[in-house]
Amino acid sequence: MSEFGSENSVSVQVERVSVTRKSQEGVETEIVREISFSARRGEITVIIGPSGGGKSSLIRLLNRLAEPSGGRILVEGTDIATIDPIELRHRVALVPQKPFMFAGSVLENLQRPFLYRQQPLPSAGSEAVLQSLSLAKLDPSLVERDARSLSLGQQQRVGLARGLITKPSVLLLDEPTSALDRRTSDALAATLREICHSQRLTVLLVTHDLRLAERLADYCLYLEAGRILEEGRGEDLLAHPKSPELIRFLEEPGAEV
Amino acid sequence: MENQGLVNLEIIDLVLAFGLVLLSIGLARLMKVGHEGQMLWAAVRMVAQLLLVGYLLHFIFAVKSPLPVIAILLVMGAFSLQVIGGRIRNRMPRFYQVAGTSIFIGCGAVTFLFCAVIVRYTPWYDPRYLIPLAGMIIGNSMNGASLAAERLAAEMRERRDEIETALCLGATGRQASQSAVRSAFRAALMPTVNTMAAMGIVSLPGMMTGQILSGTEPVVAVRYQIAIMCAITGAVSITAYLILLQGYRHYFTQAHQFRDE
Repeated sequence: MSEFGSENSVSVQVERVSVTRKSQEGVETEIVREISFSARRGEITVIIGPSGGGKSSLIRLLNRLAEPSGGRILVEGTDIATIDPIELRHRVALVPQKPFMFAGSVLENLQRPFLYRQQPLPSAGSEAVLQSLSLAKLDPSLVERDARSLSLGQQQRVGLARGLITKPSVLLLDEPTSALDRRTSDALAATLREICHSQRLTVLLVTHDLRLAERLADYCLYLEAGRILEEGRGEDLLAHPKSPELIRFLEEPGAEV
Repeated sequence: MENQGLVNLEIIDLVLAFGLVLLSIGLARLMKVGHEGQMLWAAVRMVAQLLLVGYLLHFIFAVKSPLPVIAILLVMGAFSLQVIGGRIRNRMPRFYQVAGTSIFIGCGAVTFLFCAVIVRYTPWYDPRYLIPLAGMIIGNSMNGASLAAERLAAEMRERRDEIETALCLGATGRQASQSAVRSAFRAALMPTVNTMAAMGIVSLPGMMTGQILSGTEPVVAVRYQIAIMCAITGAVSITAYLILLQGYRHYFTQAHQFRDE
């Protein structure tokens, strides 16, 4: 790949990163083991693998919700350990598995990041609010609705809009479709693809939903027992798995591609 | 005026009264609560500690210098800390340090204010006033402290999703735990507020009852009770506030990360 070419440039670089967790008895286990990979701007990088394999632990490192026990992570060339975590979390947005809806309207939920920073709150008609709603494909008329009265699919979109309102360059998603039915999940996948391309975002998505991975992955990593066992362009990896672990994972009952 | 209403309780009367405790343990057993041992132990402790303290006070009231009195107050404080430390189920990180300083400052400040500014008796350390007053203040603050600490730990666990979502949106640890801290503060003050509201109608508080039983004019006893209730409310809220103010921090790292247990 050319350094200067039209290829998408590396935006997130993970270098030999490990995570250890201490159990209550004080026993340390390595749940992520010296992982290295990179994610590119304007692409969706999907991390698949069985639950408990370290996917969520890995993604939480990227906005410093947790700290690695070894290695380093670069975002746009800067080691994130040197960036103020609050600042970083506005640039690297993480939408959790089931985004928590704060009591109040959709608008109040979207205003949260500004509230925390003690900045003037954007109004319902402001560009920031309208743009984030439109990116997440939410109707502007929902803005005054009680966020907790919305359907799960809509709440997931409010979570997305809320993450995008600070105009991040990296978007992290942890199992975004686990609570959604198939149709809602497909619609969300289409929205994510559109956002990634139109905003030139770096999207990193963790899932055990192979259907979602197949629909979205520009690049795909297979993570099991804390290690990347296989990686490649999305369609190649899922259509022609090589490692016995991935072959087994793809064949598992309930796994439908 | 002779204190004709003052009836001395004999040992046999106390034995009869203790029957009520045994009844309550019996009821707990009937309902299979599984805390009978703990209840009996608490009751036995109550009796032993009170008897001991009765004799102790007899000698302490004769003390004519402030240092021994202050030492006794510190022992009371340490004891209350040990009681809540053992009772609490979800202990927050660095519990003893946090609760200890909070009780010390909260109770110390209010007791001092009460003795030196409000009641103004001389000498200010007169153990006959200072020890029972501080006892009531510390006892109530101890309950407030244990409610605040326990509720904070529970809220932090239950609100994990909320807290992490807030952190993801750029909240500081303090901002992210605001609602957890608020509801812990509310829980800590609830019993005191309820007691104030019911005071005099539903309940005649212990101190006032004691004073009246031993012959004080009700009008005088009531004034004391009002002042004491205010002091207790102040001490409970300062103690709970300090516990929460220090306590929430221990759930977060410097980098605004929520600590996993």
